[in-house]
Amino acid sequence: MNELTNKDLRRKIVDMVVTGGDGHIPSAFSIIDIVTLLYKKILKFDAKNPEWLDRDYFILSKGHGCLALYVNLHRHGFITDDDIAMFCKSGGILGEHPDRTKVPGAEASTGSLGHGLGFAVGIAIGLKIQNLNNKVFVLVGDGECQEGTVWESANVACNRKLGNLCVIVDWNQSGMQLMPFDDMPKKWAAFGWKVYLVDGHSDNDILEVLNKIEFTTDGIPSVIVANTIKGKGVPMLEGHGIWHHRIPNDQEYQKIMEVLR
Amino acid sequence: MIKSTRQQFADTMLALGQLDKNIVVLVGDIGHGMFKPYAEVCSDRYYNIGILEPTMITIGAGLAASGLCPVMHTIAPFMIERGFEQLKLDFCYHQLPGNIVTVGSAFDYSNLGCTHHCYGDFALLKTLPGTEICFPSSAVEFDQLFRQSYKNKKLTVYRIAGSSHGHEFNTNDIIFGRGICVRDGEDVTLIATGPQLQTALEASDKISNNGISAEVIYIHTIRPLDLEVIRTSIEKTKKVIVIEEHMRSGGLGDDVLRDVYDIPGLKFHSISIPDQFVTGYGTYKQLLSSCGITSEAIVEICEAWF
Repeated sequence: MNELTNKDLRRKIVDMVVTGGDGHIPSAFSIIDIVTLLYKKILKFDAKNPEWLDRDYFILSKGHGCLALYVNLHRHGFITDDDIAMFCKSGGILGEHPDRTKVPGAEASTGSLGHGLGFAVGIAIGLKIQNLNNKVFVLVGDGECQEGTVWESANVACNRKLGNLCVIVDWNQSGMQLMPFDDMPKKWAAFGWKVYLVDGHSDNDILEVLNKIEFTTDGIPSVIVANTIKGKGVPMLEGHGIWHHRIPNDQEYQKIMEVLR
Repeated sequence: MIKSTRQQFADTMLALGQLDKNIVVLVGDIGHGMFKPYAEVCSDRYYNIGILEPTMITIGAGLAASGLCPVMHTIAPFMIERGFEQLKLDFCYHQLPGNIVTVGSAFDYSNLGCTHHCYGDFALLKTLPGTEICFPSSAVEFDQLFRQSYKNKKLTVYRIAGSSHGHEFNTNDIIFGRGICVRDGEDVTLIATGPQLQTALEASDKISNNGISAEVIYIHTIRPLDLEVIRTSIEKTKKVIVIEEHMRSGGLGDDVLRDVYDIPGLKFHSISIPDQFVTGYGTYKQLLSSCGITSEAIVEICEAWF
């Protein structure tokens, strides 16, 4: 694995968006530190055999943050330079949401919000039935948590004692724009989950919590509520403004790259 | 006493569940008593998952992704209509296999009203690439069709009817994806699916008294549809009536007409549920009658044609 920094990955994301002419930069920057840490330190996988039976599962439920997934899949050898260059191009395998049938290492085709957690619950139950100890991670957005199916799934996971399941909530306050009453830790606690609150841009914070979780097939599921900043890393992109789905022009690109130097 | 199709579903799960350790049954808080034997024998592979149909489907897809074989069961409108996006994305777009078994066909739950009716399911499901649909309406059909198709690597939907057509088939006659010519005839083709085979046979008896010979074809698999048996018959008779408990739009009749429209001199009629809500109450048979799905209606059409 090459020694790319998270700044390098952020630059690659911006380059992909400019080249592809499409993409959600701030949504990816919000989760890039979490996703990168998972692939570097936590997940078991084999890039040459993405369907390796002993792998851990990572499901990116907020599919519009897929650039954070793609750059990590590229870094670890699941996908190629050509795949990256063809982002959002005719004939390429990478679009604005991951497609499980095309992208090696993408466990789920997401984009329509509220599906990833239920899918992960099904995998976790399947592993439990088969007495397998693979870990299952799913990353959801806080706005996504407005979907009822998230809570249907959370209810099942707790009652079925899916201790092999860990949800990470990208709590970047997107959901609060519409629904200000949004006490994410209390909501998950009310559903019987073990709740951890972390700084979603601090490797130490996230790692400390991940190392605490005992993954068992007969325990309480865990949720890491990660305080994050949408667009983190480039002040002009941070927050909930026009940058959600905007392509930088030449001048903006230069400014962004200067910050990420 | 004749075994119901739904009881056969539970019995088939009990038999197959012991042989195939990949089968996992998920139910949406219905059928507890019926599934008790399966739940006792395959306790780690039985989940009364709760009243959350869309999520039940997504969980089923996750089970399939983990290598298991999900069988999901609840009332048709909640499974097919409420859970439609989950069927579309979590199974079909993912290209994952699974089995959906519904009860509450069309307006079987006649007095429960439109919330519990589901007569547009064929039309909806046909828009999902790769999906297979069948409508077993007797115990032996369910057992045979399920055993033949549940491991076919696709999403397969089994619509269970509350009534049976009452016709006895030999086990060997039931082949997934194949229509059955139940009665040979020369003058008109009656194509029926589900319990309406009984209506078609009744009509065939009545019109034979007027010297009209009807060929009766039974369709238990809606997709893939056996167009060969259908076309061969209609090329001979040039006249066809399709009888089904489905809305006119998107039902079996549409598929038949699309395939045979070019036969010279063709006469076609669809006896089906009108494209509107069926808001009345009463028995299942009364609702059929209110929709014009009767043997008398078939006789009337034939008399006008001959």
